[in-house]
Amino acid sequence: MSKNLRVTTSKYIDETSRVSFKFNGKSYFGYKGDTLASALLANDIHLVGRSFKYHRPRGIMTSGSEEPNAIVQVNNNTALTEPNVRATELEIYHGLEATSQNCWPSVDFDIGGINNFLSPLLPAGFYYKTFMWPANFWEKYEYVIRHSAGLGKSPTEPDPDIYDHKYIHCDVLVIGAGISGIMAAKTAAKNNLKTLLLDEKNEIGGSTIFQNSEHVKINDQNSSAWLENEINELKNIENLEIKTRTSVAAYHGYNYLLARENLTDHLPKNEKNKKVRQRLLKIRAKKVIVATGSLERPLVFNNNDRPGIMLSSAVKKYADYYGVATGQKNIFFTNNDTAYESAISLQKKGIKVEAIIDIREKSNTAFTKEAEDLGIKVYRSHTIVNTEGYKKINKITIMELSRDGQSFASPEKIELDCDCLAIAGGWTPAVHLFTQSGGKLKFREKDQVFIPDIYPSDQISIGSSNGDFELDDLIKNSIKSLKEFLDIKETDFDNLEINCPKDNEIRTIWLLPSDKVLGKTKPFVDYQNDATAKDIKLALREGFRSIEHVKRYTTTGMGTDQGKLGNMHALGIIAETAGVKMGELGTTTFRPPYTPLTFGTIVGRNVGEYFDTFRRTPMNDWHIENKAEFENVGQWKRAWYYPKKNETMHDAVQRESKAARNSAGILDASTLGKIDIQGTDASEFLNRVYTNAWSKLAIGKCRYGLMLNEDGMVYDDGVTTRLDENHYIMTTTTGGAANVLGKLEDYLQTEWPELNVYLSSVTDHYATASICGPNSKKILNKLIPDLDLSDENFPHMSFQNAKIENIKCRIMRISFTGEHSYEINIQANYGEDLWRKCMEAGEEFNITPYGTETMHLLRAEKGFIIVGQDTDATMTPIDLQMDWIVSKKKYDFIGKRSLYRSDTMKEDRKQLVGLVTDNSTEVLEEGAQIVANINQTPVEMLGHVTSSYYSPNLNKSIALAVVRGGKNMLGQKLFIPMEDRNINVTIVDPVFFDKENVRLNA
Amino acid sequence: MLNYKTSIKGDVTYSDLEIKEIKPIMKLIIRGKTKDFITAIGKNLNMVLPTEANTSTSAEQLTAFWLSPDEWMLISNETVSEESNTYQVEDELVKNISKVKLGAVTDVSDQFVMLNIKGTKVFDLFATGSPFNFNDFKTKKGIVVQTILTHIDVIIHHKEINEVNLFVRRSFSQHLHSWMSDSASRL
Repeated sequence: MSKNLRVTTSKYIDETSRVSFKFNGKSYFGYKGDTLASALLANDIHLVGRSFKYHRPRGIMTSGSEEPNAIVQVNNNTALTEPNVRATELEIYHGLEATSQNCWPSVDFDIGGINNFLSPLLPAGFYYKTFMWPANFWEKYEYVIRHSAGLGKSPTEPDPDIYDHKYIHCDVLVIGAGISGIMAAKTAAKNNLKTLLLDEKNEIGGSTIFQNSEHVKINDQNSSAWLENEINELKNIENLEIKTRTSVAAYHGYNYLLARENLTDHLPKNEKNKKVRQRLLKIRAKKVIVATGSLERPLVFNNNDRPGIMLSSAVKKYADYYGVATGQKNIFFTNNDTAYESAISLQKKGIKVEAIIDIREKSNTAFTKEAEDLGIKVYRSHTIVNTEGYKKINKITIMELSRDGQSFASPEKIELDCDCLAIAGGWTPAVHLFTQSGGKLKFREKDQVFIPDIYPSDQISIGSSNGDFELDDLIKNSIKSLKEFLDIKETDFDNLEINCPKDNEIRTIWLLPSDKVLGKTKPFVDYQNDATAKDIKLALREGFRSIEHVKRYTTTGMGTDQGKLGNMHALGIIAETAGVKMGELGTTTFRPPYTPLTFGTIVGRNVGEYFDTFRRTPMNDWHIENKAEFENVGQWKRAWYYPKKNETMHDAVQRESKAARNSAGILDASTLGKIDIQGTDASEFLNRVYTNAWSKLAIGKCRYGLMLNEDGMVYDDGVTTRLDENHYIMTTTTGGAANVLGKLEDYLQTEWPELNVYLSSVTDHYATASICGPNSKKILNKLIPDLDLSDENFPHMSFQNAKIENIKCRIMRISFTGEHSYEINIQANYGEDLWRKCMEAGEEFNITPYGTETMHLLRAEKGFIIVGQDTDATMTPIDLQMDWIVSKKKYDFIGKRSLYRSDTMKEDRKQLVGLVTDNSTEVLEEGAQIVANINQTPVEMLGHVTSSYYSPNLNKSIALAVVRGGKNMLGQKLFIPMEDRNINVTIVDPVFFDKENVRLNA
Repeated sequence: MLNYKTSIKGDVTYSDLEIKEIKPIMKLIIRGKTKDFITAIGKNLNMVLPTEANTSTSAEQLTAFWLSPDEWMLISNETVSEESNTYQVEDELVKNISKVKLGAVTDVSDQFVMLNIKGTKVFDLFATGSPFNFNDFKTKKGIVVQTILTHIDVIIHHKEINEVNLFVRRSFSQHLHSWMSDSASRL
């Protein structure tokens, strides 16, 4: 049975609310307010996981988001499983099940632990070295390496949780609710600035809120009591919003930040249901105050990674905040005074501190004195040379340091028993977000820290994230910075009286000496990726100099913790070894996210039906009722085909296309882009936009136009109708509508401002039913009996205004199928009923609804192109054999000049042709390559198939293709090489059906 | 008579949020650049078009939204008949604006769906899908914004405090309405 190490009460832990949870299948309990880490430590569990490379036993090292070791799998074997969750951040809840990662069969007995003994074979860059020698063994190595790589298991089922996004705009964003962040938020909000204060913890107050030292006072009050009053005051301040459990993940340019708000992770399972789990906050702030605090550094010495070795600040937090003793025989190992402060706190709570090992020769502050007065044995100028204890530390060996700190003053070794070793290596300002935003750092030699120097946007860093570690400096400098930054004269904090110990001297030795040669030791720098000081030195010996290269070669700083603990030591060791200054070396790049984000948070609600935006036509419900299959065309859901009973798409398309040719078909053409063009210069505008002439188009007539890009390549096409003298309606392709409108508006505003022309999109205003086939005229006549449909009054390529049951509509006699056709355009909200009326009127003619697939077949039979399918932004009108549409007389139009470049006039450009197969039933694959000489190597590709169908109206396979010099190759035999055979084809005219246009004029 | 059918399938009601389509509403885009155009509109409609960006003006029967320096949307304040799509205002403007070459008049009544959204959580709803800063917007009646909501273009008119009319293109309206209903359920 495990011990209960909850040694004292804490107001942050609700001991009336007991929470049961499972770890590695065994039940434990903690209290509301506990993290998994504090609850495990209270149960005397230190061994939490295994390390990445050597599978060494690892425990809980920190109490926050910088944790490298205690990462666990939550809710294993369910859709809700999540790997790499830091036990130090995970709040326990009823029903929580967590398991150790990277171990098999168990964390206590892990087969992978053999790697620890093979470590001489696994040096830095060993993976890269497998590429080198022997070269052909690489695939075998890779198989093994791939199998052992990775931490945790990804879920294999869709995530059932709900995520959301939220945009927030504020005047001031304060990141971090420690003492400096709270002061900043209060000051900003009280100056009428809309302020948002974020903190990743469940309670605000940072480390000051559990500060209980008699030596640290504000206005003669204990600093934690003073801060508590301040926090209580925040509740009554308008303009201030506080979000806890919210971690800023990314700080982009122009004060745009992303933060993850955890909403339900701490709730019992039964309270999570149907609630948003996490929300991604997209924050635009006019000003940003970074008060992210600092991270305590570990110390790098031999075997510094055993379970039970923790940061001194974490040991203090577990005791002071959670009421948990992390050990019963504690030893501190330090290079500065903060460990003394922690040791005093423990000793006063009755948690035994055996000794403090201090690498400094002397220190004489209030903390050191008090520690000694409390009877704690202090070993000055000593260092740890080894630790022992496989699954938990049980002994350390110390030796006296030489003056220069690089060797020893005497060979004497002292062994000390312990069950927890608290290490304190100084502090590193958390400048990650500052540098993500583009900020530049400077190096402060005095205490070997990088601090903010040049701000790229309207922001400041304050508190210990700005390098102010002592309370006095922190408060005074924060007030000064806030006044300047917010342009204010006074704050509530101007006259604070602060008492705190000063002159915390630090002695930095990045790699502490050992009594063994380096090669025989394991001084870990990056705990998560198992990178040691000797790996870094090896990388330097092998020629790596840049910190970015060393990082990648050794994987230092590349774990999920991004090396928050070890990066500074890596830099220090590189600088010392290479003989350069740390400031000149710089840091590695800090990239978002600061702490890992779930994919769910990134995606938000853009899943399922909201994965992509979709558009529906007015007749959509009818298509669904009639079992249409849909295809995505741009954002539109278009009816693709209407299968009857067990028809395949091929069957349905054959039936639909025959019906359209033999009697009547109806197509929902509402998706075509429609642009209303008005103005006295509308005709001139069209002349400049299209390749053909428009000035002489009579009112009531329609004309097909090709629009080119500036490079002379086909951009869009469609029919434009002259409704009145200065009024046209242009149709565009479905997918090109928005781009065409944008391009035309751009031309009007920037190139042709002299033209009096106005454009308005009416794509959605109209529903369009296109009726085609030999009986289309009869159907329209039934629908609108009083409309004169004679060829004289209503010829092909003309339009009529009409009314259907008192509703105005426009009817164009135009055709994309080669059949006699009418497009009825009616206000969209009448579209579905118009369609039903067309179906009723056409019933006696077996009117057949057809979808986009049949439309493609019918137009291919006629050799009509589809821009984007038969063209690919490299085709000119001449390439498409549409020379007839390019006016030779017009002064100019978009793309004209490019048509006369030598390249666009070349004879051997790819040109549109028709293809028929020798075997008339064999349908070519769209995209298939076309070659002339199958035996030539390398084979010369002449072009490719762009459209291909089996035509029931011609009883043969037909295809459109682009072939180099194809215009002059009529009748030539070519090959389509396929995986298992070659298909023989012949180049033919691209118009396969009714070349004389008898049917559409009928 | 042809049946009039919109894309929106019912209202959405929560204790502090209500989404309801208002239909049929006449909607026109009017465009022109000259003083004569502004004057002619004023005479014909007995109202002044807003010339300040992102604002609106209202008369007894009509409201005009500024959309761009030479573009306005004009909507009827009351619903119109479903049995006809002939609007007297449009006919008058075509006669007195388009035909005399002062500008352009385009009927967009069914181009846009108008959704009336009201309640204390209107702007919380928008914050889940629109990058626009509504902090000032929500304090000013009559203000207009053209922005995006869940990647879809929308025009939002602040009709009353905590009440807006939102205009979205008809083809996107079903998707947007469904998305808003889903989002509103979790506010």
